[in-house]
Amino acid sequence: MKNTIISALALAVVFTACTKDKNVTKPVDPNAFSVAVSGKIVTVKNLPADTIVGLVSGQPVGVGKYSFFNLRTNAWVSNADSASSNWDLAFNGSTIRVNAGTSGPGAGGAFVLVGAYDNLTTVPADSVFKTDAYPSYAITKGSGKGWYSYDGATNLLTPIPGRVLVIKTADGRFAKVEILNYYRGGVTPSASATDEIKTSEQRYYTFRYTFSNSTTF
Amino acid sequence: MHQNTTKMKKIILTSAAALYSAILFAQFGPEDTTRPKELDEIVVTATRTERKISNVAVPVRVIDQKTIQQAGSLRLRDILQEQAGLYMTNGFGVGVQMQGLSPDYTLIMVDGEPLVGRTAGVLDLNRVAVGNVRKIEIVKGPSSSLYGSEAMAGVINVITDNSFRKKLNAGIRYGFGNPDKGWGLPGASSTFENMDFSLQGSTTIGKLGIQFFSDANLFDAVSFRLYSAERVPQPVKRFTNQLQLSYRFSQKTKLSLSVRDAYDHIKQEFATTNNGGITHSYGREANNDLNMNAVLLHQFSDKVKNTTRLYATTYNGSQILHFREFTDSVYDDEFRQHFYRAENQTDVSWTRSTLTAGGGYAIDQVNSTRYDDISSRKQNTIAYGFAQYEWRPADAVTVIAGVRYDDNKLFAAAFSPKLALRYTVSKKLSLKASVGRGFKAPDFRQLYLNFTNNAAGGYSVFGSIDAVRIIDQLNRLGQIAEIRDDYSKLKQLTPEYSTGVNAGGTYTPTDKLNFNFNVFRNDIENLIDAREVAVRSNGTQIYSYINVKNAFTQGVELEAAYQFNEKFRVNAGYQYLYTADKADLQKIDSKTVFTRDENGFSRLLTKADYVGLPNRSRNMANLKLSYDNKKFFATSRILYRSKWVVSDADGNGLYNKQDEFAKGYVQLNISAGRQFKNGIRVQGGMDNVLNYRDINNLPNLAGRMIYLSAQFKLIP
Repeated sequence: MKNTIISALALAVVFTACTKDKNVTKPVDPNAFSVAVSGKIVTVKNLPADTIVGLVSGQPVGVGKYSFFNLRTNAWVSNADSASSNWDLAFNGSTIRVNAGTSGPGAGGAFVLVGAYDNLTTVPADSVFKTDAYPSYAITKGSGKGWYSYDGATNLLTPIPGRVLVIKTADGRFAKVEILNYYRGGVTPSASATDEIKTSEQRYYTFRYTFSNSTTF
Repeated sequence: MHQNTTKMKKIILTSAAALYSAILFAQFGPEDTTRPKELDEIVVTATRTERKISNVAVPVRVIDQKTIQQAGSLRLRDILQEQAGLYMTNGFGVGVQMQGLSPDYTLIMVDGEPLVGRTAGVLDLNRVAVGNVRKIEIVKGPSSSLYGSEAMAGVINVITDNSFRKKLNAGIRYGFGNPDKGWGLPGASSTFENMDFSLQGSTTIGKLGIQFFSDANLFDAVSFRLYSAERVPQPVKRFTNQLQLSYRFSQKTKLSLSVRDAYDHIKQEFATTNNGGITHSYGREANNDLNMNAVLLHQFSDKVKNTTRLYATTYNGSQILHFREFTDSVYDDEFRQHFYRAENQTDVSWTRSTLTAGGGYAIDQVNSTRYDDISSRKQNTIAYGFAQYEWRPADAVTVIAGVRYDDNKLFAAAFSPKLALRYTVSKKLSLKASVGRGFKAPDFRQLYLNFTNNAAGGYSVFGSIDAVRIIDQLNRLGQIAEIRDDYSKLKQLTPEYSTGVNAGGTYTPTDKLNFNFNVFRNDIENLIDAREVAVRSNGTQIYSYINVKNAFTQGVELEAAYQFNEKFRVNAGYQYLYTADKADLQKIDSKTVFTRDENGFSRLLTKADYVGLPNRSRNMANLKLSYDNKKFFATSRILYRSKWVVSDADGNGLYNKQDEFAKGYVQLNISAGRQFKNGIRVQGGMDNVLNYRDINNLPNLAGRMIYLSAQFKLIP
């Protein structure tokens, strides 16, 4: 009963978000969460991923919550659905989980491919989809190891260009994802920006993806 | 308010001193303003023997005393920054980038002896006062065949005045500025001030020559930005004292002794923000540089000359910082280096050739808190020998072949050959070409560093000598989660090598016009890089040093000088530079490196997008106009540096046009002076007239500063 109410509330949130999106007369806030569909490609902007709320022993921290996203329905899913197959990717800071293994009940998986997004037209036949096995993840964490690089001198995190996340959705279908930016508004602060800006603007994902019912995109 | 009164007092004292001195010495006779015109200067650094610059087969430039004085330069940095193709780097003081190579790879010498005490490879050029410098010789291209380690990009030899002529000169200078307001008012609390006092004298008593130089430089810059998060110049006091003695036993034998002491005290009061938390730090950095050398010169015959050099130097650097927020913690960094060297060189001259051969033994020792234990002394010993044969088969041709072998106790030996040719085509045109090998020995830090950064996540860096042992130990304790591929490459470090080719010449179409040109290419192998070699169980990384990188720098240097008439002269210089990390070029070829287009979408990176090594400008130029009628002079010096890449904004691991750049800029310095008959020389000037500043990328470039100085001849 409780679950139903929460789901209903979550749906309400999604619907509200949708109605807001359709209101085209208002100027678009570049910092607002948005989902835009153009042909096969869906672009998600400003998906917060446990944004910074304060410092704990000198380190910036969020509240510890993930943002769940469903690549099949193009929707930001309620946290109440975390234990379901209603999501494909979950974001928290630089960690991206897939719905499989230690992260969820789904049949998901992922691997990181070096190449251009447009050039990936089919899921390679020899693909090996990894699943999350805490503390390691299908989408490898660490600077230069998966999808991002972190510069200790500038304290900036940058998605490495030419990295495609090949995703198996929670129901075993496929999607390709390119992370475009990690900062609010889709703009990485300058190397010389203040620490305050670098801290408060981080953990907002901008990414694009193509979902497919088959192995071709 | 207190600040103001102190400053006012300083100014009153300064002005009073100047006025007093002016009155006192106004009675002295006319100054000898005639200078011998040095058309064909003698240089020593290029060949380790005295040679006319026109006969030298490698690129060499000389900055003379007059140029240094007229530019109003106080420290070595001030004058080097005005030379085409030399760029002053920021971080760990001011270093010099030559032919696109980092400061680590240029040997800096005072009177032919190397300065030690580098931090992260940088030898701070502000450590050297230039008030008693007769000339600075700059040799470009690998010169390890003569000088051993560090002489990869070239050599800068600061040669002090050793004329031992009877003189006693005093100098005083006061400069001020306020970059925020554009113009500073002397004495105002927000004004920074730069004061310099110097005294030098020399005389000859019979066979004994005595010479001394004292300089105090006080730079106060932080009073108006206490605990600023911006890296502004810190208040600095620098003191230099040098005593030189020369004794001529006979026409054939001369002994020279020199003791130089340089002390820097840098006050530190700054704030840093890390992850939003502010830390206020206060303390000081103090560096002491003591050099002692003895040179015994003996002329066996017209043909045979022998030089014995003994050198001992100590560099003590220490930094102590306290923190407002963490009162129980103190940052204490100590670095003590001792370097001792004995060397003998014999020159044999025949009509058409000269043989220079020699050898030496050096001991290099370091104690530092940056290594495992400050009481444990790290030591390397170097035994070396060198030989150079210079042959002039015809008047128009010089051929030089040289070689040096350095045997190191701590790492592999280095072999450095060099070949140079000069050909005088005509009176107007002479050509030169040289190829040589340079090397740089691994730093003690690369061998012994033992550093864990607890403030930034707990990563560690271990020097190559201890890395394997420490990691194995941690592994046995179960503290290693992962060994990275680069771990297998850990082994005894070898020197970094460069092979440099320089080709160019001098073209003098008329008496008034002169061109110098040079094309260079330096291929650098075995560059030492810090790489991740293991990961601890708690996820923190362990780095160590490996010989892995290969890079090259290449470019063109052009210089032109035009003497309109006896009084008016124009000098122009330009350097074009292209650099690359060879591994980067391979990655681009293998089509695995991408960047982002204007939509933020990935696209393949092309070679045209690639910009090479960071912190290097493609174009650098300077233009100097000078007027000098022997009593009065005026100069205007314009420096230009094109944009340079500062951070890998697109995260693809190399530097390309889509990354973040520092803006190119123009700096203008002007000066003028008047020589009075009573021996007083008055000079004024303005540095950085356009008040160009870039606090993030050029922290060492102070804003606009106006200065006045006076030189007094205390003995007519």
